[in-house]
Amino acid sequence: MKLNLSIKNILIIEDYGVMRRSIKEMLYSLGARFIDEAEDGAAAISLMKSKQYEIVLCDYILGEGKNGQQILEEARHKKLIPFHSIFIIVTGHQAASLVLNTLENKPDEYLTKPFNAHQLIRRLKKSIARRDYFLEIKKDIVKDNLASAIFHCDTLLKTNNKATYTSLLKIRADLAVNTGDFDKASAIYQQILEQRDLAWARLGTGIIAFYQQDHQNAIAIFQQVISNHPIFLDSYDWLSKAYEELDQIDKAEHIITRATEISPNSFFRQQKLALLTSQTGNLKIAEQAYLSVIELGKYSVHKSPADFSGLAKIYSKTDNHDGALDTIDNMRQQFPHSPEAELRATSLETEVFKKTGNSDLSQKAFERTMELHVEQKKHIPKDLQLDVARACYLNKDSDLANDIIYSLIFNHSDEKAFMASIGKMQIELGMENNSHQLIQKAKKELVQINNKGVQLFQQNKITQALAIFNQAIERMPDNKNIILNMATILLHNLRSSGITKDKLLLTNYYIKRAKQVGISPDKLGHLQLEFEKITHLHS
Amino acid sequence: MSDLTNTPIDFPAILASSVHDIKNSLTTVRELITHIANKQNAHKNHDFIQLEFEANRMNNSLMQLLELYKIDSKLFNLDIDEYSASEILQEIMAQQAPLLELNKNKLSIDCPEDLYCYCDFEHICNALNTILNNAQRYTSTEIHLSAYQEQDYIVFCMEDNGAGYPDQLLAITETETPSITHLSGSTGLGLHFSAMLAKLHTSKDNKGFIKIDNNSSLDGARFRLFLP
Repeated sequence: MKLNLSIKNILIIEDYGVMRRSIKEMLYSLGARFIDEAEDGAAAISLMKSKQYEIVLCDYILGEGKNGQQILEEARHKKLIPFHSIFIIVTGHQAASLVLNTLENKPDEYLTKPFNAHQLIRRLKKSIARRDYFLEIKKDIVKDNLASAIFHCDTLLKTNNKATYTSLLKIRADLAVNTGDFDKASAIYQQILEQRDLAWARLGTGIIAFYQQDHQNAIAIFQQVISNHPIFLDSYDWLSKAYEELDQIDKAEHIITRATEISPNSFFRQQKLALLTSQTGNLKIAEQAYLSVIELGKYSVHKSPADFSGLAKIYSKTDNHDGALDTIDNMRQQFPHSPEAELRATSLETEVFKKTGNSDLSQKAFERTMELHVEQKKHIPKDLQLDVARACYLNKDSDLANDIIYSLIFNHSDEKAFMASIGKMQIELGMENNSHQLIQKAKKELVQINNKGVQLFQQNKITQALAIFNQAIERMPDNKNIILNMATILLHNLRSSGITKDKLLLTNYYIKRAKQVGISPDKLGHLQLEFEKITHLHS
Repeated sequence: MSDLTNTPIDFPAILASSVHDIKNSLTTVRELITHIANKQNAHKNHDFIQLEFEANRMNNSLMQLLELYKIDSKLFNLDIDEYSASEILQEIMAQQAPLLELNKNKLSIDCPEDLYCYCDFEHICNALNTILNNAQRYTSTEIHLSAYQEQDYIVFCMEDNGAGYPDQLLAITETETPSITHLSGSTGLGLHFSAMLAKLHTSKDNKGFIKIDNNSSLDGARFRLFLP
């Protein structure tokens, strides 16, 4: 394959002048003409905003500021690089790929220093050939056209190209899992495992068991993967998820702790550890984990005020009021124009000032909380709503607090961990029975609404059923079950009473929404495939 | 007050971290030398060939020290997938290309296009690269690389027309993992590392291994890596 670099925009991100010059000279010697350089993340991001780069060569360690992985995450998150661009992370040692490994946002290639021009051109050729070969599939996946991706994948598999066969099978199995076609995925994993015990295939069988609610079996498989491949970190994440499903939070915490020992610089794992330890009450570790999250998030696109308020809550719980107030100040400085951060600050201050005997300040903070709550109402994250409710209880405004809690239960009744944190908050305030009653009442009403809608649907009274679910969604826009049922009925309606553009748009909206709120592929996959088929026929 | 001298020293960790620093510095030194050589058009100079070879050698040794440290502290893990054998040979050719251009050794490759093996690509390339770097030093003019299937194994074979391995080395490497202390000469660490790495490649009941002898088709040394 002949590679023509002369027409490609290339970006080198490397803080060290000698290395930068050396890579640039290599690229020039290989015929490149359009090369830009950045010595840190900020410069790289601003270059990427002004120009579309087809090839990015990015060192992992870049001194103060974003590291290579964070640049990649931000570039993809904000769509600063085209989907077909090739992002290569350069590292000082091998196995870095494994340790840096995050579930999402893998670079297209890792390159280990030192390398020469021959190696660089080989790596570029390989990446570009692979990109071109998988281009159609990747385009489909990016656009979430899974049926079309499956079609392209199957077409390529039929060519029996030995060089790409295993990679195609891996993608095909992923697609099968994501569309709930577990038989197909299972068959592929078995086919691979008969040849060789590859970690990803073994992990895949565990993920299927997980989605099929066979958590015990999933746990056994994930444990086996970990014992055979101790630094394949995906399996730690899955194992902890499975423990969480079984309410074995201690074990989930233990596994994530082990993973963070292997890879201490993963933002999301530290964040997970902070949340788990806050739940188990292991506050010393929670504090450390939150501090790591804040440090790692400093230059990351994932930096969030929730982590600051998480840390402040830990301090407040351990009566370290200065720590809590300092953290709140720090949050305000880091997010100066964020209404969310301000609401987090005031709702926490309500409690901290109360505890320190500053009742005036506490009262002021509470009043501000109430104002902000009204202003932001629909856009408040669930954990923050809980903080607001807590502040309300502390100020004896139980009616508003109960309303908030009721709505939270309505929207998130199927999220075990979150329901547990509602219960925990109530216990801390000595109101255990209150939340029990609220949960029972809300769940009962929820079941009634849902059943009524489903019943109407089964009686083929589609319009009435849709009306019920529309009302329900007004009240509980995040409830998974309601969204899923809405999508199911809309899809049925498309099939049975004809297709219009409006109906297609609405159905599409709810399928997307279902994905957003995290409905698992076993429940959503077949709806999505069917919808795509209908759309395809229609166009 | 804590007394620094009473704190136990984790010598292996300190060593590993220093090795890492040295390796980074070495990379910079190499880039600078290349830059200077390019500027003065001196890269055909014999001294420069020697420099390139020695720098490769240092880099390989440091890299292997780091990997052995990881194996020792249970931080080592293979990233096994399916790769084309010819791709592996092409990659090590690319790694050695600057040196090959300089010293004019003849290198030939014989590998079927449709031969695939399960391995950790980066590690296997590095191990073979070390052996090839040494072969370049000890051969007189010619090196032959090949890969083929032999029963349940894929074999990577490297032959040269040099003086061959000394008897002492041949005797010691009869054991499964040749111990470094018993090996003299520059290939010691490289062979030890290759043997160790081969052994970590397993499939069902089969384990990888290495073999060295002087039955080269070119009348010199022959190194073979067997992967299940």
